[in-house]
Amino acid sequence: MQAQAQPQRAATKDLVTTERPAPRIEWLRIRNLTKRFGDLAALRDFDLDVRGGEFISLLGPSGCGKTTALNCLAGLLEPDDGEIELDGESVVRISPERRRFGMVFQNYALFPHLTVGRNVAFGLEMQRVPKARIGERVDRVLTLVRLGDQRDKYPAQLSGGQQQRIAIARAVVTEPRLMLMDEPLSNLDAKLRLEMRTEIRRLHQALGLTTIYVTHDQEEALSLSDRIVLMRQGLIRQVGTPREVYLEPASAYAANFLGARNLLPVRVVAAAGDVQIETGSGVTLTGTPRGDLAPGDEAIAVIRPEHISLLAQGQDGVNTVPGLVETVEFVGNGIEVSVRSGLTGEIIARTEDLWRQGDGVALRLPAERLLVFPAEDAGETI
Amino acid sequence: MARDLPIARTTDDTARRLAGPRRGRGKERLGLLLLCPALLLVLLLFIYPLFYGLRLSLQPEAGGLLTNYSDFFGDDRERATIGNTLRLALPATLINLAVAIPLAYRMRRRIRGQRVITGLFVIPMTLGTVLLAQGMLSFFGPRGWFNKSLLQLGISDDPIRLVHNATGVVISLAIAEFPVVFLLLLGFVSGIDPNLERAAQMLGAGSWQRFRRIMLPLMIPGIATAFALSFVATFAVLPSAVMLGQPAGETRVIALAAWQAAYERFDYSAGSAIAIIMAGIELLVLGVVLVGRSRLYRGPATGGKG
Repeated sequence: MQAQAQPQRAATKDLVTTERPAPRIEWLRIRNLTKRFGDLAALRDFDLDVRGGEFISLLGPSGCGKTTALNCLAGLLEPDDGEIELDGESVVRISPERRRFGMVFQNYALFPHLTVGRNVAFGLEMQRVPKARIGERVDRVLTLVRLGDQRDKYPAQLSGGQQQRIAIARAVVTEPRLMLMDEPLSNLDAKLRLEMRTEIRRLHQALGLTTIYVTHDQEEALSLSDRIVLMRQGLIRQVGTPREVYLEPASAYAANFLGARNLLPVRVVAAAGDVQIETGSGVTLTGTPRGDLAPGDEAIAVIRPEHISLLAQGQDGVNTVPGLVETVEFVGNGIEVSVRSGLTGEIIARTEDLWRQGDGVALRLPAERLLVFPAEDAGETI
Repeated sequence: MARDLPIARTTDDTARRLAGPRRGRGKERLGLLLLCPALLLVLLLFIYPLFYGLRLSLQPEAGGLLTNYSDFFGDDRERATIGNTLRLALPATLINLAVAIPLAYRMRRRIRGQRVITGLFVIPMTLGTVLLAQGMLSFFGPRGWFNKSLLQLGISDDPIRLVHNATGVVISLAIAEFPVVFLLLLGFVSGIDPNLERAAQMLGAGSWQRFRRIMLPLMIPGIATAFALSFVATFAVLPSAVMLGQPAGETRVIALAAWQAAYERFDYSAGSAIAIIMAGIELLVLGVVLVGRSRLYRGPATGGKG
């Protein structure tokens, strides 16, 4: 009941409850957001609708415009064109200090001359919250990020992970309407990164913050987000839930960026029902069409390593080609085998079986997993 | 030694910080050893003359050990040179800081024409004191352009006296030392992580609060250093005090007193004593500045890992 009357206070008060508190905004609407640097359009016609409480990732390689979009949202960059509306209020012309958004920076940007407590209190002091209330709220948020005993230390005395928690605490304590995070985990080592990922998810659920999260790490985006906005060269390429973007990539680029590491340049032979394609080396395959494909078109066939079957030499059948094992890499939860075949360069397959370099194999590419997209520059293979 | 390597390589920050002092022991010793040549040079160039001068000052032509010192402090005219010099050095330094701090702050991010502006500010450094004094004499003199313009415009009825008094010397000192102060502060401000300011802005701080609460405190070490450098340089003023001031009266600076003792009265011992007093005052002021600085914040000017 109280949560309805005072959603803001409840958000930090009921920290331990698992229930998601009411978000502080109903919706965020971004239209035609455009930012040019000289001749370069770093961001073009960025449209996005966000529901209150949603966790949105802007995903893409460096230079795709994700950080530009975030800075435009924050107000740190002035967009050349476009509209940002929050529950019906346009914030494009409002300066960053009056937007009441929280931001977490890649390098944390903690004030080095202030103690942890003063860092966290800074935003509240700016809001002229009474002193007694500030102390209370700082204590509570420090407990929330499990650093209640570090209040009097200076940032330089803390580890990278602790600094990151403080940076997050400093942003959430002001109860921002929108939380913006700029690659907050990229400075941490692998183990801490996983820990903090869980931490961010936990905080998001505990506080019901509407969050826009910038990252180039597909795993981070997949695990954290309610929805992913995949970007490239200043444009949005696909918006969807992690499951959608992962399983139903809208382009060869999307598939490639989300881990489909095998890209085959092909030519369409027949496009009725399943698509028949031919590789440069003359092998004919059957794939599942995505997008407009006509016989004769250049296309790209994409398949994930884990969807390829490695069979014993000599097997044949639909979409099965012979090959030779080039390298074998143990990657912890599986083995990645790179196979030279008649298809193109090397094909990477993921398997549980122990193959050795030089083994003859047969690669089977299931037609329903071999997605065929109209040709485009799919970006670097990652 | 062998056990130190893995600690430094693999573990997280905390472990590295904890391991820091222990790991450094051996390297520290080597570092000290490598420091020796430089230390020797410093000893030869600075410490030796200081002690030589100190010894010379304690060997007066007549009288006891401290005769030169008691003479200096006993003589009103001599003692007054300390105040005279402070009255030139402190205002010149403070004016410089007051102008340079906002200017450097404004220029903390690259702006259009940055190089030209910086170049213009630095020109005075290339002129040298004497040329500057000459220029000022003809520009600010009673018949100089400055006063002529004022008279022509009817802003004042009589020429304003800006040379041959303390004002003239303060102006010339300020101009001469400005580049050092400005460049030092500019380097310092541009070294402050711009994200700190953005973070403060996102937390609701307006431009004044960002300056007052974040940037100014982080600039304090730079300001203290600039103050110290400017003060020491201006406290040793001689040419402009003679050329632009009133060397017989209000701008009879302590350096002039030392010079007169040594090269007009040929009393090297008394000259040395005055030089030592001068050094003592400078060290005192530096000490106060440095202690004050360490009381305030002195740490990194970035907000975390790179």
